[in-house]
Amino acid sequence: MKLLLIYGSVLVGCLGLTILGEKAMTRTPCWCWSSNHMLVAKPKPHAKGIELVSYGSYGSEVDWNNPDRILPLDYDQAQGKRIFYQQCVWCHADTTPAGPSNRSNVTPDPPLMNDGAVLNGVSDASLKKTIALGGSAVGKSAMMPAYGMSLNEEEIDDLIAYMRVIAVPEYRKSPDKVNNTARIKP
Amino acid sequence: MTARLILRAISWLPHVFAIGGALGLALAFWQPRTDWHEWVQYKRGPAQLASMPPSTLAWKQSVLPAQYMQGSCGVCHREDLPQTPRLDHGRQLLVKFNCIGCHRLRDIDRPDMLGPDLTRVGTKVSREWIYKWLKDPRTLTDANGSVTVDGVATDPRMPKFQLSDLELRALSAYLSVQRPKSVGPYSGNPRAGAVTAKGGDAADRGQTRFNQMFCITCHALAVDRGGETTLIGGDIGPELTKVGSKVRPEWLSAWLDNPQGYLQHTRMPQYQWSKQDMYEVTQYILNRLTDPDLMNDVPQLGPPTDDEVHLGQRLFVEKGCAECHVIQGVTPRADFGPDLSAFGMAAGPFVVEMKSARKLSASLHFAKNNAEHVNIEVSQIPRSMINYIQAKITDPASVTPETHMPQFHVSQSDLDDLTTALLSMSGPPLTGGAHDPLTIPRPHSEFHPGGQAGQLYQRYKCYVCHSFKGYGGTLAPDLSFEGSRSKREWLVDFLKNPQTLRPTLTVRMPHFNISDHDATTIADFVSTSLRNPNINPNELDEKEFTPQMAEHGKQLFEVKYECQSCHTIGSSGGYVGPSLNNAGNWLTPAWIRAWLKNPQILIPETIEPRRSFTDDEIRDMTAYLLTLKQVSQAKSTESASAGGGQQ
Repeated sequence: MKLLLIYGSVLVGCLGLTILGEKAMTRTPCWCWSSNHMLVAKPKPHAKGIELVSYGSYGSEVDWNNPDRILPLDYDQAQGKRIFYQQCVWCHADTTPAGPSNRSNVTPDPPLMNDGAVLNGVSDASLKKTIALGGSAVGKSAMMPAYGMSLNEEEIDDLIAYMRVIAVPEYRKSPDKVNNTARIKP
Repeated sequence: MTARLILRAISWLPHVFAIGGALGLALAFWQPRTDWHEWVQYKRGPAQLASMPPSTLAWKQSVLPAQYMQGSCGVCHREDLPQTPRLDHGRQLLVKFNCIGCHRLRDIDRPDMLGPDLTRVGTKVSREWIYKWLKDPRTLTDANGSVTVDGVATDPRMPKFQLSDLELRALSAYLSVQRPKSVGPYSGNPRAGAVTAKGGDAADRGQTRFNQMFCITCHALAVDRGGETTLIGGDIGPELTKVGSKVRPEWLSAWLDNPQGYLQHTRMPQYQWSKQDMYEVTQYILNRLTDPDLMNDVPQLGPPTDDEVHLGQRLFVEKGCAECHVIQGVTPRADFGPDLSAFGMAAGPFVVEMKSARKLSASLHFAKNNAEHVNIEVSQIPRSMINYIQAKITDPASVTPETHMPQFHVSQSDLDDLTTALLSMSGPPLTGGAHDPLTIPRPHSEFHPGGQAGQLYQRYKCYVCHSFKGYGGTLAPDLSFEGSRSKREWLVDFLKNPQTLRPTLTVRMPHFNISDHDATTIADFVSTSLRNPNINPNELDEKEFTPQMAEHGKQLFEVKYECQSCHTIGSSGGYVGPSLNNAGNWLTPAWIRAWLKNPQILIPETIEPRRSFTDDEIRDMTAYLLTLKQVSQAKSTESASAGGGQQ
């Protein structure tokens, strides 16, 4: 009788422990894998740099001057990238998806889109005005056409967001305006 | 007393250890084989999604990793969106790699031809070549056997099957006897010998013709540049770097002469060949586009035996070859691979319907439909939907060793795009007309002009590169409204001698040697039938424009708006837009006026920015552009090329 009782109590104890353990495991499953293991893909062990960095971001762009540096983009910046490669890349980059760049045919040379030394000093509002109304509206070359009727405001904002991400040297929110404006090309 | 109690308790200890140990062992055995996620799901009860409106399915899913987030957009958006380049490209890749051959996929329909028709493949290639191709369907490999072009691993559309030597011998034997109708012998041009003696090597001149005809618009050639192999040319047709070592000479000339005679659904246009061109170009292909080492690792196979042919015929169906390739008299199996049309969001981790706990250790949480279940003990991949998809595409044997699925070589970014598109597969199209079915544009034609123009349209396969009324390819400009844009005379000249308007493009309209009669027929058809309903090309008369207007227009063009930043006039200007040197002969006045007013209305995807010109400015710039005329070059170049041919 005693023997049965003890067996019974041990069984009950073990079951209780497993149930408790199971409850705990629904929060943190077990030693084998973490709770989000099955929902979130992990980079493969031999993943290259580009996969690791772009992982978990909406898009990515390679630093124009340094192919090893991958810049993660959020949704807005990725939209800006799309518009850039449709509309702007022809004159504001040295290489284009289709053949040689048009940059050399335009005088004065348009700034490269990642040229932080020039563009970091220009405020968002001023860039927006240049893109929307064209170069002639801000006292620059009319070679820059007005995009205000082709792109909407959100698209222009996205474009500026993209420009800020790829800027070299890096763009900081509140640049020292006095020093930087001096470097803007006329 | 206490000592006795303790002693008695100690005597029970072995039992306690035995029971505890047994339970612990069971737990240790059970735990790694259990999918805790399923267990949680089981405790919560089956997900009740059936009664929900289908459009909110995605809301219940866990959010995909940001990289694949566009897959969620594709659940409801069945058309391509500009904001989801990854999804759009993934859908195109699903079409490109012919996934539809074996799997059902939402909204992708089966075209007339997936892989090449193999009914007469015995007349095209040798048995040895088939053996090599089936063993590893790649020809552009470096010394290590890897394929890297432009820094990206690339591959033909044909995936790699895991075939043993016996299977390779049997399949190559079976395919090499597929020659119901033989091809006439390859005959060198009888006069070619004399021509060769006079004007250098026939293959050299063939190369010149090959370049002049712009074969590379559709076919790529690999070029070695500083140690890295670069592909130059388009990917509409197969890459041709080593095709001279592949095809039989008699097949090549028969094919070039009439591609549709060999493959009914081919996209290759039928050129007008002169005998000499045919001889020179085939000589170039057979002698220069070759690789003597290509067949080095292929054993001598000899003539096929009956046993081999018989086994090959069986394997052709069993391995699923018949799903993509047609051979007369062979019927493919229906639904060879699992149905993937609800593979993505709807079958995601939270929609598992669990009946009993016994399933817990048997299957994976995402395998709701009849996709193959993963054997956990064999599988080396992390257990997630995304890793499963990617492992399945790049190395299917790592997931299920006995699979029929072949191996695809894709770059990591293409793989991510494919995964995104697969994750958006959310079941069969909805009925009730609330959604338009997604049509993934294949460059095939739903636009069928009739009459003589229709025959020429089929012959020159205009729709492979150009699009018409929403159908066709995207490589070349949309011609739906070409009749309103271009003048008829210019069209005739252009068809006979296609000179690109964008000098920096490497991909150009091929030179078909179109006859005068054919060019006139096509131009007539284009200028009468392909018109924008709002633009009548005759509504503006060029005589309305005065030289004063043109002079003012020139001022506006060059000084106020500086259009030369993108357009070339004379020898200076940019090359973002087309050259306007011949705008007066090319464009109709009505089109220029409408274009300056709002280009996006005429061609929505054009990058020409819409400007706010006044009506007077538009009139004056139209007047200026109409004065830009070049002397027709067609006649002079034609006589020059005729003279060149006779030398």
